[in-house]
Amino acid sequence: MNAAAWTCLVLPLASAVAITLCGTRISRRLAGYVATTAALGAFAAAVTAFVIMLGESPDERAHTTTSWTWLSAGQYRFGFTLLTDQLSVMMMLVVAGVGSLIVAYSVGYMDGDDEERRYFAYISLFVFSMLLLVQSGNLLLLLAGWGMVGLSSYLLIGYNQERPSAIAAAKKAFVMNAFGDATMALSLFLLVQHTGRLDYAGVFAASPHGGAIANLIALGLLGGALAKSAQIPLHTWLPDAMEGPTPVSALIHAATMVTAGVYLIVRCHPLFENAYVIEDLAAGLGAATLLMAGLIALVQVDIKRVIAYSTMSQIGFMFVGAGLGAYPNAMFHLMTHAFFKALLFMTAGLAIHAIVGEQDIRKLAGIGKLMPFTKIVFLVGSLALVGIPPFSGFFSKDSILASALDHGWYGIVIFVAGLIGTFLTGIYAFRLYFIVFTGEPTAFAREHIHLHQGKEAPFSMRWPVAVLALLAGIGGLLQFAPLWHPLTTWLDPVAAPIVEPTTTQEWIASTLAVVAGVAGMAVSWAIYSAHRVRAPKPVRLFEKKFYWDELYDLIWYRPADAIARGLYTFFEKPLIVGSLAAVTGGAGLGSRELGRAQNGLVRSYALALASGLAILTVVFVAVR
Amino acid sequence: MRGPDIQWYVVLSAILFATGALGVMLRRSPLIILLSVEIMLNAANLLLIAFSRLHGREDGQVFAISVMAVAASEVVVGLGLIVALGRRNVELDVDKLRTLRG
Repeated sequence: MNAAAWTCLVLPLASAVAITLCGTRISRRLAGYVATTAALGAFAAAVTAFVIMLGESPDERAHTTTSWTWLSAGQYRFGFTLLTDQLSVMMMLVVAGVGSLIVAYSVGYMDGDDEERRYFAYISLFVFSMLLLVQSGNLLLLLAGWGMVGLSSYLLIGYNQERPSAIAAAKKAFVMNAFGDATMALSLFLLVQHTGRLDYAGVFAASPHGGAIANLIALGLLGGALAKSAQIPLHTWLPDAMEGPTPVSALIHAATMVTAGVYLIVRCHPLFENAYVIEDLAAGLGAATLLMAGLIALVQVDIKRVIAYSTMSQIGFMFVGAGLGAYPNAMFHLMTHAFFKALLFMTAGLAIHAIVGEQDIRKLAGIGKLMPFTKIVFLVGSLALVGIPPFSGFFSKDSILASALDHGWYGIVIFVAGLIGTFLTGIYAFRLYFIVFTGEPTAFAREHIHLHQGKEAPFSMRWPVAVLALLAGIGGLLQFAPLWHPLTTWLDPVAAPIVEPTTTQEWIASTLAVVAGVAGMAVSWAIYSAHRVRAPKPVRLFEKKFYWDELYDLIWYRPADAIARGLYTFFEKPLIVGSLAAVTGGAGLGSRELGRAQNGLVRSYALALASGLAILTVVFVAVR
Repeated sequence: MRGPDIQWYVVLSAILFATGALGVMLRRSPLIILLSVEIMLNAANLLLIAFSRLHGREDGQVFAISVMAVAASEVVVGLGLIVALGRRNVELDVDKLRTLRG
């Protein structure tokens, strides 16, 4: 068990190190194969761990293994500890599984790029960091993984380093995530102060119940989760992060890293349950994000940005689930979302790859006719996203909505927001599908399409997409809340839900959500496919993304800029620069004046000597 | 002990020293300045010997002889310079000899 856990963690790191050290001694393609093999190996190790765990009794499935004491300060000792339990095995399977598919896809997607080796080293580093995050056995190691996924996300967003917009996006992502890291670190300080330890079990047992401290601890953790998962108010980095290569968007900004916030809440749910206000806040922010992102996605014209807003919206659903206490449902949606959102991104990547890097949906319009495979898999992804049975989104999203019904009036408000969100999902997902994949191809698309030996994409890109399409299609059948729920049972010892929706509520939620989704699809069909209704003019508020960027510019950048300028004008220039000038000028003046005394007149020297002597004499006599 | 009291020696020495110092400060000829310096040195010698006599010890006399030796060397160098200047027909005026002022 422990060997499997360590293998899973170390293989991607070994791959990153090997690719880095080998440099140009290995071919670019080989670097891709090394990274793919390592990711597949990690997946195999995760599967091994899972199988071993299946054979154990549910209460004995948590294993910790410490390789060495990583940090010790006074009486505190923090080991390099891995925790393998039901929750982390599930995350390992998702991360390594989806990760290996996407790395395999990258081999085809990045083919011919000048710096493929750098790409594969980065992406292996990312897989390692993400596994470290989910496998860590204490909060300190989790924070290390948390920071490292931020770093690899930064490196991969800014992968096209010759493009200034990519660099700006990378910096933005890093800074916003650093804010979350900081609040998390503060929360860990509080935990150390009040419990004296950071391993999960110890912290959960000893942390304070209720009160300001418990709220602050949960709030700090929530800050980290919000930043990493791109939820209001720390969400603005995610759409810009689409500057990275498309497989990166699929892996980091859809399937794995951005869902780390949900994992954090589920993993630390006892801390959040001690501070139910913060837990409700998480659900509320999730609901707000899912609505806002859905509205913005309606008017975006960049295919990847639409999917990015959709990701924010879906993570909003997960936050609702985690915040309301429906932890298994949130994790289930995390898993199905990883399947269908990675699928959507990779399908978009197929289109972008074929039409030489074009991402504007008005130019890509109608390519479904030229790329039938892409069209079908995109349709599967979209249906799963909207939650049409039997595709996977239906099973996971609806059970989250059902849990909202079991949470008083607050839950009802969130439930309504979720329904509206589902309706919006129907519109924007099928707006993409109808515009990009149905109808006649544009002249631009016909002219620029670039097939690969008669196929839409190389084999290395098609098979991962096909596997993911299969998973997005049937992966949801794993759990159908009213009838069977193996996942909830599996996660029960680690994260037992605190809401129990009745079967009636499940059915109500499912029916209403499907109706809302279908209604959205119908609206979208009427506008973008049948052209029965004229498309309404894009709302400026949505196009401007609710002015969050402008707001942050106004709140943070402008004052900082003004203060810096003020300090320069009123402080640095007169005091620092001025004092330097005064010192040099004074030294010059002083030496010039002193130089006059050396006039070459022997008599004046003698006079100076004599008067000095006279003064000394007087002084000595007087002092005595 | 015979001879005048120590006060007389001190006063004489002070007068001699002041004379020499004034000479150094007021006169322009290097020759006279050199002479004035000699007067100052001898004022110091006088004091050394006077106190040596007062205390009945020889240290002061030894010092006086050393000072004389130094003064003699100094005069040799100084006079040599003055003679060299004179040979070159340079005007012997310290106020005008300022080229090494730096």
